[in-house]
Amino acid sequence: MNDATNDVREHAGEHDAWLAALDGELRRRGIEPGLARHVVAEAAAHLRDSRQPPLAAFGRPDVYAAAVADSVGEPVSGARRPPPGPVRLEARGIVKRYRRRPVLAGVDLTVRAGQIAAIVGANGCGKSTLLRICAGMVSPDRGRVHVHGTLGYCPQDGGTSEFLVPDEHFVLVGAGRGMGRAAAVGAGRAHAAALDWNPAGAGQARLLSGGTRQKLNLVMAGLGDPDVLLLDEPYQGFDRGAYVDFWHQLWRWRDAGKAIVVVTHLLDRLDRVDTVLDLTPVPEPEIRA
Amino acid sequence: MTKVLTVADMTLREILRRRAVLVIIAMMPLAFYLSRRGDHLGQSIRFVCLGLGWALSTAALFTGGAARGLEPRLRLSGYRAHQLYLGRLVALWAAGGLLSAPYFLLILVDQDGVSHGAIALIMVLTVAVAAPFGLALSALLPRELEGTLLLLTVVGLQMIMDPADASSRLLPFWFSREIATYAVDHTDTSYLARGLVHGAVCALVLTALVALLSATRLRRRPHLRFVT
Repeated sequence: MNDATNDVREHAGEHDAWLAALDGELRRRGIEPGLARHVVAEAAAHLRDSRQPPLAAFGRPDVYAAAVADSVGEPVSGARRPPPGPVRLEARGIVKRYRRRPVLAGVDLTVRAGQIAAIVGANGCGKSTLLRICAGMVSPDRGRVHVHGTLGYCPQDGGTSEFLVPDEHFVLVGAGRGMGRAAAVGAGRAHAAALDWNPAGAGQARLLSGGTRQKLNLVMAGLGDPDVLLLDEPYQGFDRGAYVDFWHQLWRWRDAGKAIVVVTHLLDRLDRVDTVLDLTPVPEPEIRA
Repeated sequence: MTKVLTVADMTLREILRRRAVLVIIAMMPLAFYLSRRGDHLGQSIRFVCLGLGWALSTAALFTGGAARGLEPRLRLSGYRAHQLYLGRLVALWAAGGLLSAPYFLLILVDQDGVSHGAIALIMVLTVAVAAPFGLALSALLPRELEGTLLLLTVVGLQMIMDPADASSRLLPFWFSREIATYAVDHTDTSYLARGLVHGAVCALVLTALVALLSATRLRRRPHLRFVT
């Protein structure tokens, strides 16, 4: 085998890897599959004809995919959304103090089916507390929460069993939802695939990376199709691609009619969500004598 | 029932995967047994039963602690509080049975002239008491170090206190000395009866305590209403 043949094969491998990465990045950005295939085919043809290395021709696949996404606009799923459905979660007049420090002072939140509500605010402003009150894990000093349907909850950390593998987590949560073992494992793996994670054969939870463990947490929250999803900064440890996958999963849930509340301090684009509840305390005006 | 068995299944898997802990737990009663085997037959049997109780209580303490973070979300996923603690108890009782069986066989082979039926009863009661005792400690003392120290104190007191002293009856494994006295020294059946009643009451009271603590911790808060 001569050097020229080796060179061609090496380039082909490089092209394939770059094109696969581009395909994944386009998918993550919600580009419609037909359009994504077209973009990848065009890029492949250009690379074949120009014989240029892909990085020299197009740059990094994620940057090129971002440019493509910008040029075609927002994901299709966002453009054809049905109007919001009935109220699924209603929190009224939530007041909570820790010792004497007021954390939540009469907070209201209403989320309808097919909506995403983001709870934002500085550290310690009560975002997680409000979510835990909505989940019924913490009692408020005043106020009430009405949930129309079933609840799924994803904590900021913990919430998994160190010595169980992901499939066993799916079985455990699935049994609570009335699912059989095979159905729970199947549903768990399908949810995981949407986050670009294959849990089959994965080790015990204690051996998973922080980001993968959060994916497990997120999948557990969505098992059994709860009507309301409460997600407390579930993207801790996610890399950029997983973070994008996470938002796409949220949009899919929204399109399926779920009511979603997500605690976040990384809301870089307000158009990702339908409602924003900012819990940052408003500074009291100075009183001048 | 499916939910209880699923929790039991997963709890057993968790226990069986802590291999280093399993080895220590399995060997602890043997060390207790061998420490007095040469010079005092009765004490070696009493100690092996206490060792079983200590080992299983410790396993229950850590099992309860490990479940604390997961149980609230399982509750939200459709489990009732009693399904969660019963599942864990079933798993721990099964693990206790597996742990005790080899020691019963050891005594059966190694010790003549004792009432093996009474020794089997001690082991059954020890398993019945130790599992809820460890779970109750984990519910009362969420930090494992505090729970372990309290467990150490209770079992230490169990070994050094005079069983004739009325206050020693407050200790959860007092029954094992009473029944062991009957089994080894062939005393009258009042020892057996007292031990049996004490063990049964302890098992019931501790299981009720676990139920109460679990129901309180995992209760549905009144501010939250599910509208159907």
